[in-house]
Amino acid sequence: MKLSSKQKQQARTAYLFIAFPLVIFGVFTFFPILFAFFISFFDWNLLIHDKPFVGLANYFELFQDRVFLISIKNTIVYTIGVVPIQTLLALVLAFIMNQKLKGRAFFRLAFYLPAVTSSVVTSIIFVWIYSKPGLLNYLLSLIGIEGTDWLTNPGTALFAIMALNIWTTSGYFMISFLAGLQSIPQSLYEAAKIDGANAWQQFWKITVPMVRPVTYFVIVLGLIGCFQVFDQIYVMSAGGPVNSTTTMSYFTYNNSFKFFRLGYGAASAIILAFIIFGATWLQKKYLPSEAY
Amino acid sequence: MLRKQSIWVILTTTFWGTIILFGCSSPQSNLLRLSSWVSSPSETELFKATLDDFRRQKPDLAFKYEPIPGNYSEKLQLMLGTRTAPDIFFLKGMTAPSYMSFGILNPLDDLISQSPNFDLDDFYPFALEAFQYEGKQYGLPKDFNPYVLFYNKKLFRDQGIDSFPSNWQELEMMSRQLTLDQDQDGKTDQYGFIVEPSIEMVMPFVYQNGGNFQNPDGSLGITDEPFIEALKFYHGLYKNGIATMAQDQGVAWNGDAFGRGICAMAISSGWLIPFLKDNYPDLEYGILPLPMGKQKATVAFTTAYSMPKATKYENEAWEIVNYLVGKDGMESWTKTGIAMPTRKSVAKANGFHDHPTFKVFMESAEFARPFQVQYSERGFEEVVVALQAIFYTEKEPRKAMEDIEAQIKKYRLVGSK
Repeated sequence: MKLSSKQKQQARTAYLFIAFPLVIFGVFTFFPILFAFFISFFDWNLLIHDKPFVGLANYFELFQDRVFLISIKNTIVYTIGVVPIQTLLALVLAFIMNQKLKGRAFFRLAFYLPAVTSSVVTSIIFVWIYSKPGLLNYLLSLIGIEGTDWLTNPGTALFAIMALNIWTTSGYFMISFLAGLQSIPQSLYEAAKIDGANAWQQFWKITVPMVRPVTYFVIVLGLIGCFQVFDQIYVMSAGGPVNSTTTMSYFTYNNSFKFFRLGYGAASAIILAFIIFGATWLQKKYLPSEAY
Repeated sequence: MLRKQSIWVILTTTFWGTIILFGCSSPQSNLLRLSSWVSSPSETELFKATLDDFRRQKPDLAFKYEPIPGNYSEKLQLMLGTRTAPDIFFLKGMTAPSYMSFGILNPLDDLISQSPNFDLDDFYPFALEAFQYEGKQYGLPKDFNPYVLFYNKKLFRDQGIDSFPSNWQELEMMSRQLTLDQDQDGKTDQYGFIVEPSIEMVMPFVYQNGGNFQNPDGSLGITDEPFIEALKFYHGLYKNGIATMAQDQGVAWNGDAFGRGICAMAISSGWLIPFLKDNYPDLEYGILPLPMGKQKATVAFTTAYSMPKATKYENEAWEIVNYLVGKDGMESWTKTGIAMPTRKSVAKANGFHDHPTFKVFMESAEFARPFQVQYSERGFEEVVVALQAIFYTEKEPRKAMEDIEAQIKKYRLVGSK
């Protein structure tokens, strides 16, 4: 396509406008990604001048590293547990919040609040809730159950953090669904009512298919967020106890910044990137946003 | 039309240009810099006061104190890697072997020998050794803190105990006597002792039992009989229900459990004293040297001043370090007892040998050892995980240690002998 001189001039102006953000993006996002890929082939210790090229040695070592394999398992368990529940919960919450309820504004705010609260703050609050004499165990004791210390029990720590994440993010995605719901024409519901559909049927046969593009968006963002989970782990469990909450990004952080092995950490970050890429590709293939 | 557009071009260019210009004006000053971590406001205040003492002596030597409020080791690593490290910084004894093996620290031997009044023999040998690598001195210890035993006087009195634990058997016996279920509901509400699944807490018992994390010949000692025996004794206190853990009580750390009277005895160090004073001012407590095993031993934590190899201000930095670890500077820093002086002469000058509390620390210095190994931080992490498996999942101690032995051997520091 040939641009007229006016169009060319407009394009130039447009580039001028985005030039600075583009430079920022290049320097702080694009370059680091390429550079991480580059150093993953080196034994890269920031503090040692000699940074030998090791080829694929970091990658080979990773797949023999017990802790790394555990971190892959934990990350997948975390994602498989969190994404479906938070998506469904967000949709149900949005559906309820879309009805004409008393105090609707209050509930919308209450559900959205965790999403705008700093994850460090919510994590610390949940550290207290999950502690042995904490709120959760108090509630359990009312129904006669003696709880454990949720974050130092290797059997429960990961699930406790998953529950926290579901709570914080479902409110956030609720807003996305709410926007989607409000764009569904009311006439569809009216037609369904005339045909005798109850609320349950309306939800499954109209709401769910109509918000499918939003669901796609929510699942993609949810997948990426879950695969990269870091702050909750860092604050609440530091990967412990017994590596039961070591996720891939926590493993990357530890090796890069605590164990002086930037190349090794970069290699694990690259593998994480490929896993995320693969998961998103699978989703696009089997659960496309427009199916009808 | 065209004019309108060129106005836009000018506007955007000016806008981004300003941002770029402001973004580039770096605040980096051309001054000698000194950095430390921040553990408490009172400690920072005291340290600043010591620096002010130096400024009064040498008003011409300009330098800047830049404390690093959080993630100290991560930040330091990045600064050293990008050659923006401060010219003097705190170095923790436990992580010193890594930094020393990487060859990024400035050896201080020449500077020390050029200062005739320095008197290296005045330092406690264990504190100096923590910062030696291949025969060179890479840091000078500013202070140390040994593990000692804190006991709650009232709880001892209540049970009519008028002696103190001097060996492992007595520690176990008294812990049992002090473990109580006062309201008879089948749940213990007072424990004799408190444990922690951390390697620093296990090591005093290992040293007392003649064991080692790393033997003098360099081999790993974590599956040797003395190590396993000590670990089993320490874990046994918890397993037998006469010691608790901070997590089980929902408190932040051992010192808090001790302050609340949840446990009658706790192993801790100098940093517990100001904490108790601030949070539990009415608590009646005493301090004892650790009960002994086959021999007396404790772990001492020590911190040094180090310089990066790349410093531009070697001589000026040395003047400051020379003051801070010299007799005057160290006296100014340690006189309140915030940490113990690493110079014997300063301990004497401060009167710590006769002080009711600090004399226990000075006594402990005689048999204290630093905890240091020639393994990377990843090795420590493996041990922490193994200890968590023992304390949280009841894994058999010997098995837990055998399972990680091969793994840890891989993390031997490069270049170490």
